[in-house]
Parts: sequence; structure tokens; C-alpha cells
Amino acid sequence: MNGAQHILDAFHRHNIGTVFGYPGGCIMPLYDALVDDVGVDHVLCRHEQACALAADGYARASGKLGVCIATSGPGATNLITGVANAHRDSIPMLVITGQVASGMIGTDAFQETDVLGMTLGIVKHSYLVDDAEALPQIMEEAMALATSGRPGPVWIDIPKDILLTEVKALAPSQSSTPEPGTPDIAEALAMLREARRPLLYSGGGVSLANAEDRFRAFANASAMPGVATLKGIGNAGKHNPNDLGMLGMHGSRAANRAVEECDLLFIVGARLDDRATGKLDGFAPNARTIHIDTDAAEISKLRAADVALRGNLNGILAAFTRELERQPLTIDDWWSQCQTWRTTGGFQAADNEEPLAPITGPVFIRQLSRITADNTVIACDVGQHQMWVAQHYHFDHPRHHLTSGGLGTMGYGLPAAIGAQFSDPGTTVINVAGDGSFMMNAQELATIRRYRLPVKIIILDNQCLGMVRQQQELFYQNRESQIDLDDNPDFMAMARAFDIPSLHIERTDQIRRGIETILAYAGPMLLHVSISREENVWPIVKPGASNHEMMDEPKRTTAQKEHVA
Amino acid sequence: MKPKTQTSLPGYTLTCRMAHEAAALERLCQVVRIRGFRITRMNLQSTDGQLDIALTLEGSRPIGMLQSQLEKLHSVAGVVLDEGASQTRSA
Ligand SMILES: Cc1ncc(C[n+]2csc(CCOP(=O)(O)OP(=O)(O)O)c2C)c(N)n1
Repeated sequence: MNGAQHILDAFHRHNIGTVFGYPGGCIMPLYDALVDDVGVDHVLCRHEQACALAADGYARASGKLGVCIATSGPGATNLITGVANAHRDSIPMLVITGQVASGMIGTDAFQETDVLGMTLGIVKHSYLVDDAEALPQIMEEAMALATSGRPGPVWIDIPKDILLTEVKALAPSQSSTPEPGTPDIAEALAMLREARRPLLYSGGGVSLANAEDRFRAFANASAMPGVATLKGIGNAGKHNPNDLGMLGMHGSRAANRAVEECDLLFIVGARLDDRATGKLDGFAPNARTIHIDTDAAEISKLRAADVALRGNLNGILAAFTRELERQPLTIDDWWSQCQTWRTTGGFQAADNEEPLAPITGPVFIRQLSRITADNTVIACDVGQHQMWVAQHYHFDHPRHHLTSGGLGTMGYGLPAAIGAQFSDPGTTVINVAGDGSFMMNAQELATIRRYRLPVKIIILDNQCLGMVRQQQELFYQNRESQIDLDDNPDFMAMARAFDIPSLHIERTDQIRRGIETILAYAGPMLLHVSISREENVWPIVKPGASNHEMMDEPKRTTAQKEHVA
Repeated sequence: MKPKTQTSLPGYTLTCRMAHEAAALERLCQVVRIRGFRITRMNLQSTDGQLDIALTLEGSRPIGMLQSQLEKLHSVAGVVLDEGASQTRSA
């Protein structure tokens, strides 16, 4: 068995059935081995960035390891954005690239790039294989590393000669990274019981630890009001009365108000990202903090925790749940206060019943949320539409919401939807894109056609880079700069070129039929939704400001309303 | 670009043991830089596939933050902060 065959063999042994890749010179031995291999489905995307983002979507939706493969040089550099995306959101990923032959490294050979050097900051770990005998152990170690503790991408760069060298098919010793145990919760529990206004603050770490069930049991037992980060949306389940929604820059007024007023923040699997906290000095100014995370480096990174609990989230949350079921918290006044805020300061979208009214993002997303089944997966791109999804779509599970949180990668949604569809061919997967983002990986329509994937694509087309336009309007005296996309291509004609049927809507009374039509269609379908160019995402906190300085939508005058209509 | 002249930054001494893999040192230096510290002295020794590195650093951020980021690196076996040698120094 040569190195390339060994890699496929390792995939088999680890039940990795789907990989996303693109061939080329130095990775050719692996593609040659694929010809004989029937156990690994290789998905050919049309750009390596999309291979990495599809592997990310596959991993997020399923909780399994995502795998992407590319050749040396431009293949590897094209992967970088997708791998950085996975790194910032702690997605388990294995990246395999071919490299020029060992003896050619450092000679500026054709398609040589220093992949190891240029990717150091975007991987959990990386290897340059310099000895074929080491390959089996590296493969085992890499897969264990990518999926354990705080997950992340692990990159293996393999010179072509090593892919062709015979390796001993010895069963390598299983590599495992020790998981931290469950720390003592006594001090934190006492602090929690003492608090009069405790608030649960959860992030993407909950589903990364596969701790969704334990989290919900804990949230119910504590009955604490809760807020979520962008990646924590769905942690509490759909329509949970304790859930105040997303906090932060585009968070709900209720969530940000509760953070401001709470006397204890109970942080679970969140890293106090600046989009969530706003200016740190003004964040939760009256609160003590209990910070629970599997990654020691996240605890007290930005704000010193009063009690830090590092370990496996499942074990820690179960320990709290046992205690709280025995003796519940008494926080009735605070709970009622938060309910009032929830009623008056949740995400509002005037459900415009006027049938001829133009469509707005929030109104469209609310209808989408009502019409789709609970297990629908929504893969977003980046911009205003992403925030409207976060605000107005009710997710029942965090794995149903695929969004590029840390890196904010335009072009994420379509390949991520492809990956998610491969992870569960029976689920409805919808890419909600902006017209700008859609064009960043539009070539993936070819992948959808090739594999006959029933991915639904919704483009909320405001004819501009809406999120940038909004910030230019609000924070740069409305000096619009390079945001116009009024020369967009004909999206429906594009879809047609890939045998994908499409539909265009522009009025409120067309929303339901539009959504129902694409959902009812057995294959892929594109819904082109024209929305107003001027619509903004509200509320908003100015970058660098405190969350309590959040700005609400200025009340529109009747004249303005008519103008928009 | 002119190098920044920093006047009075706290200084620290760390020792770090890590596997002598490809790009080991670059990985270490990359983390030090991105987490906001400057290396003012470095001494290293390679024995039996291990690198022992002594670093003198300066930076205004809490050193504990850098230490925990370095400890997170897969190839790092341990990081020790020399409390005695670490102090606020004036340049
Ligand atoms: C790859 C990439 N380039 C640039 C940006 C900066 N950016 C953030 S949002 C945005 C506009 C997105 O426009 P569109 O996809 O049309 O969505 P909209 O905001 O209009 O809903 C831009 C350019 C980014 N996040 N990612």
C-alpha cells in the first residue's frame, strides 16, 4: 500500500465516507488511488475554497469530521479562506494537500508554496510529512486532534514522493488526546445561588461539545433567562420562554438590556467576541462571571472570570443540573423583568399585511421561519441577510444554523449548503444569500447540478453590498463607496445555465407561494427575491461602542414610507 | 517602516519545551507575535527531538494569556514562566 492508498484506508477505518476536493499535479497519486477505491465518495467542487467551505458545512451540520483535499501551490492557497473560516469557528476539519517532491522543496519548484509556513495561524496543528513511515501515525493523530477538545482544522502537507512510497500497513496505535475531567462546581454553585439576577450566556461551544441535550436540561432546571451568541443561536431550542435571543451588535434590545442589568453572567462555551460584547468596559458592568469552557486559553482571555470551570461541558452542566433539580433558583422577579423586556424588546418586524408592499428582509425571513420544518438547515452568507436570519428565524438546534461567525466569509453559504446536503441527503437545506455573497462562490451551481443536490437557494437581492452600505450611511455620513451592484447578472438566467429552475418575487403577497414552491420542488431551485436597497438591520451598535448605546430604527415618516413603497 | 520604539513595557522570561518538528520555531514565534509580545532574546537547544527554548519577551498584555496560548500548541510539552526574572523594566 502506498502513502496515497494508506490515506484512503485511514478514511475507511474512521468511517469518513465523503471528502471534498480538487485534483492537480502533486496530489495526483491520491486521485489515482481514488479510481480503485469504492468506499470514499469524492465530491468535486469547482474551486478549492468551496471544497474547504463544503467540508466545513458538512462538519457543522453533522458534527463529524469534514475533509478537503487539494494540490500544491494554487490548490493549497485557494483552500486558505475556507480553512481560516473553520479555524475561527472551531470546526473539525482534516486538510490534505499534495506538495512538491521532498527533494524539490525549497527550490522554487513548479507549484511549490510554503504551505506549512503560510497556514500556521489558521490551523489547530499542521504537518509536513518528511518520512513515509510516519504517515500512518500522523493520519491517526491528525484526525484525533481535529475532533477532540476544542475542535479545529488540522492540515497535512504531503510531498508527492511520499504519496507514492510504500508504507507499512501496520495498524497504528490509536492516538487520543486526554479530555479534561469535570472540575468541582461548589464555588460556582454558591455564587449562582447568591445571585439575584443571573443570566445564561451561551455560544457555539455547546454544540461543538455535543452538549445540546445537557445544556437544555440545565437551562430548564435553572430557568435562568438566556442570551446567545451568533453561533449559540438554537442552543435553547425553538420558542423557549427563557430565551431573550442574540446579544451584541445586532442583538435584541432585550438581550443587551439583560446583560447590562444582570448581576451574574453564567458563560457556557462562548469566548466574549467583540461583536457580542461591544466595548468590553461597558459589558455586563454589574456582573460577576462564571466561565465554563473546554479551552483554558479562552477563560479570562478578555475578562477575568470570577470562577473558571475548565472541562467537558457535558459533565459540568450535568453536575449543575443535578444540584438545581434538587433545589431550584429563586429568581422570580428577575425572570418577570426579563419577560417584560422580551415582550417589548425582542426582534420586531412589522408584519406588513399590505399585499403590494415591497418585500423586506425581516418580513421574508419570518415567513420562511414559519413555513419551513423544524429540522431545516439554513446556510447563510455574510451581510444584512445573515443578521436577519439570526434575528428572525427560529432555530430549533444550533446545527441547523450554518453561519460564518468568526471570519465572516462572504461566499460561505452555497458551499456550506452543499456540504450539509451531503451530510444528510434527506434534509431540506436552504442557502440564504445576498446578491454580493452569492457571486463569491456562484461556480458551485455546477456542483449542485453534477450531484443533483436538492439545495434551495434564496437570494435576497438589494442590488448592493447592503451591510457595507448601511455602515457607510450610519457611520460615514452616507458617503457610499463601491457598494453598488445594480449591474448584477440575471440570476435566473445563471441558474438556468446550470439546469436549476428559478422564480422571482418582489411583493409581500408573493412570499408564501415563492417559499412553498421551492420547498415543494424535488430538486434544486433558486428563489430570487428583490428587496429594498435602503433597508437596514436594526438595532445596531456602532463598532467599538458599548451595547447599551445601541441604535434603533428611526421612526419613518409617512412620506418616507410612501417613497419606499 | 521604522521599528517601533517602546519605552517601558513589562518584560518576562519564559522557557518552553516543544517537539522539534517542521516549523516548530515559526509556530512559537507566530503565536508570540500575534498575541502582542516582542522577543528580545532567544536561546535554544535541540536534544533528542526536543527543543528547549528560553525567551525573553516584552509586551503590555497579561503574560498569562500568552502562556495559555503557547500551552495550547500541540507540539508544546510545557511552558514555564520564570517569575523571578519577569518584571516591569524600563528600556
Ligand atoms: C470575502 C469577504 N469580503 C468582504 C467582506 C466584507 N463585507 C461584509 S458584509 C459585505 C456585504 C455583503 O453583501 P451581500 O452579500 O449582498 O449581503 P447584504 O449585506 O446586502 O445582505 C461585505 C462586502 C466579507 N465579509 N467577506
